[in-house]
Amino acid sequence: MTSTPMPAPAAATPTAPTSEAPADAGLRAGPLVTPPPATATAGPMIAIEAVSKWYGEFKVLTDCTTRVARGEVVVVCGPSGSGKSTLIKCVNALEPFQEGQITVDGTRVKDRGTNLPKLRARVGMVFQHFELFPHLSITDNLTIAQRKVLGRPGEDARKRGLDLLERVGLSAHAKKYPGQLSGGQQQRVAIARALAMNPVVMLFDEPTSALDPEMVGEVLDVMVGLARDGMTMMVVTHEMGFARKVADRVIFMDRGEIVEDATKEAFFGQPRSERAQQFLSKILAH
Amino acid sequence: MFANFDVSVIASSLPYLFGQGMVFTLTLTALAASGGIVFGTALAMMRLSGIPGVTHAAKIYVETMRSLPLVLVIFWFYFLVPYIGAWATGSATPIQVGAFASALVTFTLFEAAYFAEIMRAGIQSIPKGQTAAASALGMSYAQTMRLVVLPQALRNMLPLLLTQTIVLFQDTSLVYVLSLTDFMGAASKVAQRDGRLVEMYLFAALVYFAVCFTASWLVRRLQTRVAIIR
Amino acid sequence: MNYNWNWGIFLEPSPEGVGTYADMLLSGLSWTVATALCSWVIAFSLGSVIGVLRTLPSKAANAVGTAYVELFRNVPLLVQMFLWYFVLPEVLPTEIGTAVKQLPDAPFYTAVLCLGFFTASRVAEQVRAGIQSLPRGQAMAGTALGFTTAQTYRHVLLPNAYRIILPPLTSEFLNNLKNTSVALTIGLLELTARARSMQEFSFQVFEAFTAATILYVLINLVVIAGATLLERYVAVPGGR
Repeated sequence: MTSTPMPAPAAATPTAPTSEAPADAGLRAGPLVTPPPATATAGPMIAIEAVSKWYGEFKVLTDCTTRVARGEVVVVCGPSGSGKSTLIKCVNALEPFQEGQITVDGTRVKDRGTNLPKLRARVGMVFQHFELFPHLSITDNLTIAQRKVLGRPGEDARKRGLDLLERVGLSAHAKKYPGQLSGGQQQRVAIARALAMNPVVMLFDEPTSALDPEMVGEVLDVMVGLARDGMTMMVVTHEMGFARKVADRVIFMDRGEIVEDATKEAFFGQPRSERAQQFLSKILAH
Repeated sequence: MFANFDVSVIASSLPYLFGQGMVFTLTLTALAASGGIVFGTALAMMRLSGIPGVTHAAKIYVETMRSLPLVLVIFWFYFLVPYIGAWATGSATPIQVGAFASALVTFTLFEAAYFAEIMRAGIQSIPKGQTAAASALGMSYAQTMRLVVLPQALRNMLPLLLTQTIVLFQDTSLVYVLSLTDFMGAASKVAQRDGRLVEMYLFAALVYFAVCFTASWLVRRLQTRVAIIR
Repeated sequence: MNYNWNWGIFLEPSPEGVGTYADMLLSGLSWTVATALCSWVIAFSLGSVIGVLRTLPSKAANAVGTAYVELFRNVPLLVQMFLWYFVLPEVLPTEIGTAVKQLPDAPFYTAVLCLGFFTASRVAEQVRAGIQSLPRGQAMAGTALGFTTAQTYRHVLLPNAYRIILPPLTSEFLNNLKNTSVALTIGLLELTARARSMQEFSFQVFEAFTAATILYVLINLVVIAGATLLERYVAVPGGR
């Protein structure tokens, strides 16, 4: 369970006594998430229906439609500029879209009546460049949104933050600042920060592509653990090893369109489209 | 409020305001900017020369000038220049050089400190790799400066030098404290003679705004045109 | 050169009747510092608001911010000083205008307002530049966590932007301090004005101006030392 999908060894070697608990130990210690309480709304967690988006004249998304069921892990891949990052940012309305509709846990994203901050607070997001707040300590990074957005009392927020920090194996770093951590460590904190809000779904926007190769494993380990705990996840990534291991479905995008939307087995077995075949052969070639 | 706003005061004083006042302002700006850029370049070169005494002297000059209010510097030179003149010509009594000459010396020397800093930053902003590449091609230090560093630095600096000149244009209004007749001085003389402060000062503000706004707009356009794409 | 140096002049009584020439200069110094500090409060708060306006996605907010900056940057400070001092009381309703003109220390209040509004335009530009220099992902991360726009500015963007622009803000603070001398044209008895009156009364031009110069250089050094301490105090461990 703890082997990384990358040929490179994980940064935290279980035998080496390091100042921090190895990431793996954290994963074994218990589930990263308490499964979200069943909501009244049945149906998919995310429903993306006929979404189109333009930057001025330039069309970046064309008629995208897909669903993410509760507890499902969906990997979105495709060449750069294919619109996959844009699509995932539409889900929590970080990017506006002109046509179509997205529904998250029964709430329409494009609706004047929707309280967007409230919706976003229930959707966890992890960014390519981590985006921890550099002026705040790790603890404050983990608690600030709990306190200011959810209104949790400071002590509760702190307890939950430190709990999650332990789960991602970084307890020893609670008092440090983001600039003092490695990229991989920062990204694990960023995941913990999102989880601290008790999200019903997690969005990952290329979480490992800004990392040095030797740090990719530790972040993927955390994500694998999260998937196995039953978190609903939508993940933009090129890490096909991760997709093979935990994805339920794989979506392939090219030039703003969803070209392929298939189960993992079908996608890796025999992708139907030529573009997907070419893409796969390119990234799996070496 | 504006019930007795008298436009005719402005209209009748236009020849005086522009023919004398604005001509003075523009002359002073142009001369001081040219002199300031020449002296400022020299100061920047001195500061970057790496020769201990020279670097230090330039640094002290620039830092001191930049920590003083322009008004104080204007007074300083107004009283100092006659003595410098006497010293330079070996005269026994201070030489009366006139307020314009004293203002010109003041603005040239004062603005040079600001121009020097722009120059220095501009030259230092060119990556070290550029000098290394030029040397690797066999260029001498002078060639490296002239053919590689300065042409790039100048593009980066040009908008800043021009913006500083706009600041200088505004700053020349402070010759008011020497009772000189620049544009603002002219406006204020009319204002006090005719008791029309509201009209004259609003008009002066409007003219300064029009000139400076247009000039900074042009600088911004120039900036997008000369910017090096990296 | 036949100039009669007399450094003892500072200890001679000033023609004002109370205190020496040195006291006169020090009183000027305190007016300079008081004016600089009071106007900086306005400049910093108003400038921050205007700077933020210029970074908001709203076109109207942008236009307001840009108009403010352009207006206050493109008119010489001296002219602005005259507008506040001579023109504003005239265009206000008569009773208010008269009351304003009769205020004790009117030059001080005028200078504080004028410099505050003037320097605000410069602070605004720094704040805007600071916010725009932050990675776009920072605002996104705040938004994604459920922060409102105001919360994103309050907790994420501004704390980082202020740290980045601390050095240029220090320069603006010093500029503001030096600019207080322009207020001598409306009768504020600040340091340069006092040096000038000392020169007029005593004819010791160079002693008076040398003293003023030294005082200005000293305040500059103090401010720079203070800014360095502040920078160290707010520095983030492991920061860029």
